[in-house]
Amino acid sequence: MTTITIAWIALPFFLGFTIYLLPKLDRILALCVAFVSAGYALQLFVEQSPLTLQLLDHFGVTLIVDQLSGYFILTNALVTAAVILYCWHSDKTAFFYAQAIILHGSINAAFACADFISLYVALEVSGIAAFLLIAYPRTDRSIWVALRYLFISNTAMLFYLVGAVLAYQTNHSFSFASLRGAPPEALALIFLGLLVKGGIFVSGLWLPLTHSESETPVSAMLSGVVVKAGVYPLVRCALMVDELDPLIRIFGVGTALLGVFYAVFEKDAKRMLAFHTVSQLGFILAAPVVGGFYALTHGLVKSALFLIAGALPSRNFKELQHKPLSTTLWIALVIASFSISGFPLLSGFGAKVLTTKNLLPWQAIAMNVAALGTAISFAKFIFLPHKADGEEVVKPGFWPAAILLLGSLFIANIAYYEAYTLKNIVKPLATIGLGWLAYLLIFKHSVLKLPRVVEQFEHLIGGMSLMLLLLFWMVMA
Amino acid sequence: MLEAFVFATIFCGFFGIILKKNLVMKIISMDVMSTGVIAYYVLVASRDGLFTPIISDGTNVTYSDPVPQAVILTGIVIGFSIQCVMLVGVMKLARDNPTLESNEIEKSNTP
Repeated sequence: MTTITIAWIALPFFLGFTIYLLPKLDRILALCVAFVSAGYALQLFVEQSPLTLQLLDHFGVTLIVDQLSGYFILTNALVTAAVILYCWHSDKTAFFYAQAIILHGSINAAFACADFISLYVALEVSGIAAFLLIAYPRTDRSIWVALRYLFISNTAMLFYLVGAVLAYQTNHSFSFASLRGAPPEALALIFLGLLVKGGIFVSGLWLPLTHSESETPVSAMLSGVVVKAGVYPLVRCALMVDELDPLIRIFGVGTALLGVFYAVFEKDAKRMLAFHTVSQLGFILAAPVVGGFYALTHGLVKSALFLIAGALPSRNFKELQHKPLSTTLWIALVIASFSISGFPLLSGFGAKVLTTKNLLPWQAIAMNVAALGTAISFAKFIFLPHKADGEEVVKPGFWPAAILLLGSLFIANIAYYEAYTLKNIVKPLATIGLGWLAYLLIFKHSVLKLPRVVEQFEHLIGGMSLMLLLLFWMVMA
Repeated sequence: MLEAFVFATIFCGFFGIILKKNLVMKIISMDVMSTGVIAYYVLVASRDGLFTPIISDGTNVTYSDPVPQAVILTGIVIGFSIQCVMLVGVMKLARDNPTLESNEIEKSNTP
């Protein structure tokens, strides 16, 4: 198993560079990597005990793979496969596939490692690969969005590096477990880096612009898995060091509410989805024990939704309400929207129930409000007009990708079939009903437009210092 | 004392990123910040001593810790490559925005 793990981590990078040498085979090689990852993740579910690897000495590279990372790796594999299928008939060059596969590999590495330095390397590689993917169209706007993303993530990672060495100083080890007993400033700096990279709470406000302005397949990949590379270490730290659990949960609740608040008032389809990613990351953090399953569900649903949003005739909800969609597209949209609002028969339901079960009492009210907000914001999609011969301008690769993602949603449902009790089913239905009612009565007519001033580049960087103060204060208290 | 200087470097870089208007200056500020971080790693490594840990017949002296130094080598390479990539992006932007004022670029490129 050790050899398999190491080979599996190295494979995407190896094949990524091979794609340059054999540009004819680009799609096939890329798809192969995704399948290998999926197979590896399934293997992790079969094997119950976690696998811990200590490469070099105790200050060397530590890898931990267990079921939690299995969920994240499976998400990564399925989303990458869907994105490659989506691009199959497009005119993307081998460069695009090579970058996509290197991104896939670096995120896999982030999901497997358990020490700060391997994590740093994995996150920075994913940052560069994501930069190249966002800047792929090479227009001024895409270059600026990509540059802004790399700037913010790199600045955050510099803070993270300082935190990592402070943690090393106390325990002479870079592993996640060395956070126990580390000085508060080490914790604050490391968390700042991970929070910014994962797009959580106020420091995650770089995320909406980046995710909404990139191309359809790229934003599906970014929202589906790339942000989870920042969230996974937080979940892992919360599980390994018990003292951090309350802190992570507070951030989870704060993020869920903040994201959903913006999403409810957003008038642009892709921006709404991006803000909603922020909120869903909060759900993952709110119950770290079961975060893996939620991450799987969210990754599948969000990448499907971004692919569908790319096929809609317009991005503006006002215009969409006057342009009927074709019914087939609408059905795909509704399946995804239902899953994310927690409707039974789809895996979003199981994930929501499982998360609710593992919440602490003080979190329950806030998370229910966030779930209600989810239902309200996705009612915007569900109540779009549709007819059999409506406009449909989907790319040729769209349906295979959508079927893969939506089909996986149905299959993932069996992972937690215990959820189907009467009490569990009634509650999400009531939430959805209430959400629709609120949408039709209030939010459909609201014209409130939230200011975007906090999303300016300099304000985001400045916000990091405020966030650092907040974290420092929280850790000290 | 040295620690204070190192932190001063990091903060100089950080405020440079916020306060400088020109994109190239912002990238240079980021480099200053990462120089500070690298210096901090070296400082932490030399806390126990300054001698290079190489096996020799010499007497028992105070060795510096090789782990942070080895680790920050990776950090240096990554920082360097990120700057290269960013400067290429800035070069592309400079064709249409010769002043490279970040506010102007941001204003014309956000929807």
